Amino acid sequence: MKTGTKIRDKLTPYAFLSPAILSMTVLSFLPIAYTIYIAFTNFSLNHFKQYQFVGFKNFIDIINGPLRTVFLPVLLWTVVFAAIATLANYVIGLFLAVLLNNKNMWETNIYRAILIIPWALPSTIAILAWQGLYNQDYGGINTLLSYLHISKIPWLTDPFWARVGIIIASAWMGYPFMMNASLGGLQAIPPELYEVADLDGATWFQKLRLITLPMLMSSALPLIISSFAFNFNNFGSVFLITGGGPPRTDTAFAGTTDLLVSAAYKMTMQFNRYDLASALSIIIFLIIGTLSYVNMRMTHAFEEVD
Amino acid sequence: MDSANANMNKKKLKEDRKMRPNEKVTLWVSRVIIWIFIVIILFPVAWVVGASLGTGDAFFSGTIFPKQISFQNYIDLFQKTQLLTWIKNSMILCFGVAIIQSILTSTSSYAFSRMKFVGRKNGLMTLLILQMFPTFMSLPAIYGILAKLDLLDNLYVFVLVLAGGSAFNIWLLKGYIDGLPKELDEAALVDGASYWQIFIRIILPLTAPMLVVIFLFSFIGTYSEFILSSAVLKSPESYTVALGLQRFITNQFSAHWTLFAAASVIASLPLVIIFMALQRYLQQGLAAGAVKG
Repeated sequence: MKTGTKIRDKLTPYAFLSPAILSMTVLSFLPIAYTIYIAFTNFSLNHFKQYQFVGFKNFIDIINGPLRTVFLPVLLWTVVFAAIATLANYVIGLFLAVLLNNKNMWETNIYRAILIIPWALPSTIAILAWQGLYNQDYGGINTLLSYLHISKIPWLTDPFWARVGIIIASAWMGYPFMMNASLGGLQAIPPELYEVADLDGATWFQKLRLITLPMLMSSALPLIISSFAFNFNNFGSVFLITGGGPPRTDTAFAGTTDLLVSAAYKMTMQFNRYDLASALSIIIFLIIGTLSYVNMRMTHAFEEVD
Repeated sequence: MDSANANMNKKKLKEDRKMRPNEKVTLWVSRVIIWIFIVIILFPVAWVVGASLGTGDAFFSGTIFPKQISFQNYIDLFQKTQLLTWIKNSMILCFGVAIIQSILTSTSSYAFSRMKFVGRKNGLMTLLILQMFPTFMSLPAIYGILAKLDLLDNLYVFVLVLAGGSAFNIWLLKGYIDGLPKELDEAALVDGASYWQIFIRIILPLTAPMLVVIFLFSFIGTYSEFILSSAVLKSPESYTVALGLQRFITNQFSAHWTLFAAASVIASLPLVIIFMALQRYLQQGLAAGAVKG
């Protein structure tokens, strides 16, 4: 009897975990393992039933083989996009948070509720609306510009403006989160610091540079890293606004605004090259995984495991 | 309401009394900048709402907002498109995923937070690593497997596919349960309660606020999911709202933009209202479960 209850006690935790273990094994581990396996085969529409192990061929094709001219520009643009979008999110979010964090502004919460609207919208639908806003002939932005007597901008057909457009849309969608996070960080700074600075006659800018920013940095860095990782994989903003276009003349695999993620998506859905898509996914994971690891070291997430 | 007004007046009085001239300048400069930002940020929203109230298919070319207001687009939406089917599909998917994820999350976080067992530490580590794998990474595999098993386009299979990954939620809820007093369930254990009774009677009621947050996260995330749905759901009868609207815009964009605008207002409104109403809980929940820096 006693040993019976002991065994049952030992098994209880696993009983509580079993739903999660089961679903994660079937739906997370197996697909990921299968993805890793596919990356080393020639699984594609031409080889749908019968496919073979090809070793590192897909990776070599992507990094140093025939696909090199596609991969490198896409990687470069992905990094540039993620960096600029994250910076824009953070700078706008922080700027608004500093303005809102004014003890004399009694209506702060009203502004906050309005400024958070882009975050509250379902992202896919908001992004689709941006596609309409960028329409060259009747889009809201060009209509507005025509009021100001500025000539129409070819948002979706010119490579440069398509890239600018995607960054603007991502900034619009991403700043509310940063604003909220920064407000939390600002409210954690002891007010005495500012009182002392006031006594010393510090200017508004000196207080920002010498108190606010350094105090925010510890909480901001992890946010910036995870936001970079998010934008690195910001599939929606690219695929739903430009579809990766405008197209490049030298390759059909990726357009001028395609990120690594949307390129991988196209390889799966349009070209049925599951092998290349899987290899690309693994490369993306290695980049994002490294970043997340650094991030977790910084937030001491690993120490919490104990 | 009266007390809120009184409070506000008090605050205003205080503000007028104590503010120095340079503080007043800062305050008003800040206000003006914020107003400018609000106008810029709300412009896209206002433009879409305006378009949805426009007449006919054509664009109100040359003007930013329509000259004549009509609700014809909203009427057409329900009569001429499959929006209602898409909304129904989205609701099945969102509720299904959110319910399954909440159950998976609550039982496993309880085990991770309160029990000692072999593999606990490695399990938590595995969750952290799983979190780093973006969902699209399994796209070729999931698509390949479903295509082979002939399970594409099946809404109920898709619920299961999306309900799988909730590593982030488990960490979130585990952090929250860690913060509840251990004495409560230890006392119950001494009194002879089983783990299951403790879970149902003590842990679940206490974690209710956080479970609401997790439910909402799953719900909102599923509502906007696009990558997997666009790969798996093939026929218009099984589209979700996000997918249906995307297909709508790519197929008939130039002809029916005002109709799309109305559809996006309808599709966004419920979520915006929920988000606004529960914003405070979302923030508290995030703060409570967040990994401490």
